[in-house]
Amino acid sequence: MPHEVIMPALGMAQDTGLIVSWFKSPGDAVKSGDALFEVETDKATMEVEAPADGYLTDVQADAGAEVPVGNVIALISDSAEDSANMTNAAPADAKSAPSAEPLAQETALPAGAEVIMPALGMVQDTGLIVAWHKSPGDAVASADILFEVETDKSTMEVEAGHDGFVAALLAEAGEEAPVGDVIAIISAGKPDAPVQRSIADMASQKAAARQPAQDGGAKIAPADTAPAKVATPKAAPAAKPRADGRILASPKVRRLALERGLDLNRLVEAGHPQPYHAADIEVLKSLPTVPAASEAAAQSRRLTADLPSDGFAAFAAWAADTAGLEDAPALLAGLAGGSLRRDHATIAVESFGQTRTFAVPAGPLSAITPADEGTTTDLTLRDLRLSQISSVALGAEDTPVLTLTRAGDGLSITLECASHHLTAREATSLLYEFAGRIEHPLRHLL
Amino acid sequence: MREITLSQAVNEALAEEMRRDETVFIIGEDVAEAGTPFKVLSGLVEEFGTGRVVDTPISEPGFMGIAVGAAMTGSRPVVDLMFGDFIYLIMDQLCNQAAKTHYMSGGKLNVPLVLRTNLGATRRSAAQHSQSLHALVAHIPGLKVALPSSAYEAKGLMKTAIRDDNPVVIFEDKLMYNDKAPVPEDEFLIPFGEANIKREGSDITLIGTSSMVQVCEAAADILAKEKIAAEVIDPRTVVPLDEAALLKSARKTSRVIVVDEGHQSFGITGEIASRINEKAFYHLDAPVLRMGAMDVPVPFSPALEDITVPTPEAVAENARKLMSGEMIHAA
Repeated sequence: MPHEVIMPALGMAQDTGLIVSWFKSPGDAVKSGDALFEVETDKATMEVEAPADGYLTDVQADAGAEVPVGNVIALISDSAEDSANMTNAAPADAKSAPSAEPLAQETALPAGAEVIMPALGMVQDTGLIVAWHKSPGDAVASADILFEVETDKSTMEVEAGHDGFVAALLAEAGEEAPVGDVIAIISAGKPDAPVQRSIADMASQKAAARQPAQDGGAKIAPADTAPAKVATPKAAPAAKPRADGRILASPKVRRLALERGLDLNRLVEAGHPQPYHAADIEVLKSLPTVPAASEAAAQSRRLTADLPSDGFAAFAAWAADTAGLEDAPALLAGLAGGSLRRDHATIAVESFGQTRTFAVPAGPLSAITPADEGTTTDLTLRDLRLSQISSVALGAEDTPVLTLTRAGDGLSITLECASHHLTAREATSLLYEFAGRIEHPLRHLL
Repeated sequence: MREITLSQAVNEALAEEMRRDETVFIIGEDVAEAGTPFKVLSGLVEEFGTGRVVDTPISEPGFMGIAVGAAMTGSRPVVDLMFGDFIYLIMDQLCNQAAKTHYMSGGKLNVPLVLRTNLGATRRSAAQHSQSLHALVAHIPGLKVALPSSAYEAKGLMKTAIRDDNPVVIFEDKLMYNDKAPVPEDEFLIPFGEANIKREGSDITLIGTSSMVQVCEAAADILAKEKIAAEVIDPRTVVPLDEAALLKSARKTSRVIVVDEGHQSFGITGEIASRINEKAFYHLDAPVLRMGAMDVPVPFSPALEDITVPTPEAVAENARKLMSGEMIHAA
């Protein structure tokens, strides 16, 4: 049976070896211990000895070739002729498909307890089998020495660990076996056909025959652990203001809001889900600037004046007849503008859903003109005298609003405004002046 | 540019500095012929001899004490501590002696010492050989702490550390020794306290240390596909810390996750998050998140060990939560 020459592992962290030169040529007779070839790794250059007596045949790698550790690079045969089935028996490339023959051997492994290469050192990847103390078929007791193993730290005898018979030896003396790999099988009964072979045989079919237990050294693929984390349910964002009134917001969004004069409370009022981050500043900026109703209600003013009689209707008729001022809404605007006591006022008059806006200068009612488009309204006058509405409380709007409603034979006048439109004194004064003018329109002319 | 492994980068840095300055020497367990269990120092004893690459018995307090004394009297020792976990053994030599000698001597003595050690889990080395203990050291005034995130940083920071007149502790991630990165052939140093912006982004800042920089970059790749532009920053040294760079980024993106492989509680992530809270508070649009290793002894079981360390997927998921405004710790 030919012996295999493999690329040895010379370092703990070595993947390949470079064949520097061959000392023997194919067909040369060699003796066990003869230097066969020189190999260089990233750490050292070393001569590799022939594992047995015989002839060097089936050389698979020339000088200069870089060969993965554990690959078979030649055979020591009984004759000088190359064996025909070298590529089947010992492929030079461990990655090539395993041949049928070793597969058959693998499936033919006898049943029994497995003996593995033990870890004797902290940083040990493989162990060198110095010698087997038992042969295939031998009876063994648990405490019998089965083999001797050498690491870079020590040499040690290893016990069989099981009673029975050596059913299989899966590595040869002189070979390095990875820690944890099965190197022998001990069967309970005497085996019919005990197996003996080398690691190179196993290496060629590892992909097909590897056992899960031997995968222990592999790192778990990160993808295996990822899904569990992806599946973690996301915490539902807090959609409503917290009971304690605190806003959950990042330091950055708080700083940005402060710098821009924005109030994060408005995001809360708008129902925007917390916590807030820098991106939410854009949402905050896009919120309408009108204060919310509750806030406005707290800060709005509402005053009412009741008049026993409506003096305006008679005045309007009189103004139309004597002065040719037939536009009653303009007359109302004039009275309202005069009540503001300003040099110029823009008054909007709403009546039956129609709104007309007038420019009201101080002075005669005849000087009132329609306001230019786009002029800011100072005061809105809502004329509801001809409706059934008797009382209003609509809250503050964009401008102060005077509402005229019917009250029996007389009138009711309601002023509503936000606190920042008019002070309490201004509001009182406005309503007093306007009510007086409606009751006695001629007073306006005085 | 050529690419070399982190191991080679450290090896080059040490060799270059030992050639430049004959007071530099290496001391520790298995540093000479063995070249350390991770083969980082291979070849140095051949060039510099056993007088400058000194193998010691298994006695961490002993060789650390020797190195502190040597540093006080004119040498520049590089102490090799095989595993970061062994730092508990040398706490007095490191924290009471090396860190305080300059101060206690009224400035008459310096301790120009470098402590090389490692951190990082997921190597199946179990609870006593998998810890990331840099926060312990960073807590002590007088010690500088460098956390290289690639071969480039490993070389540049090591050279700076050796030339520093104060004690420096460098933690290499033991899973990164074979990771390659472009490293210039020409000599270069990386100054301490200068963060590296690995990737610019406007939406969220991911601050990572050591191998967590790669985790943050992978998370940024995931987020980029979702139109979230993550900025990835590597402080490179946590003492001194480039606070200005971190604050600038925090102010820019308003959201920060700090990722480090030390235990999450009372660690590096908490310190950095706290500084950002204090100094960039009004620019934050979300809480600063910490992501460290779970507060458990590192399990030996591979399946358990792997979930104790932040992953790109976990970082990306937290980033999404911060971006969406989800309340992560709702009141």
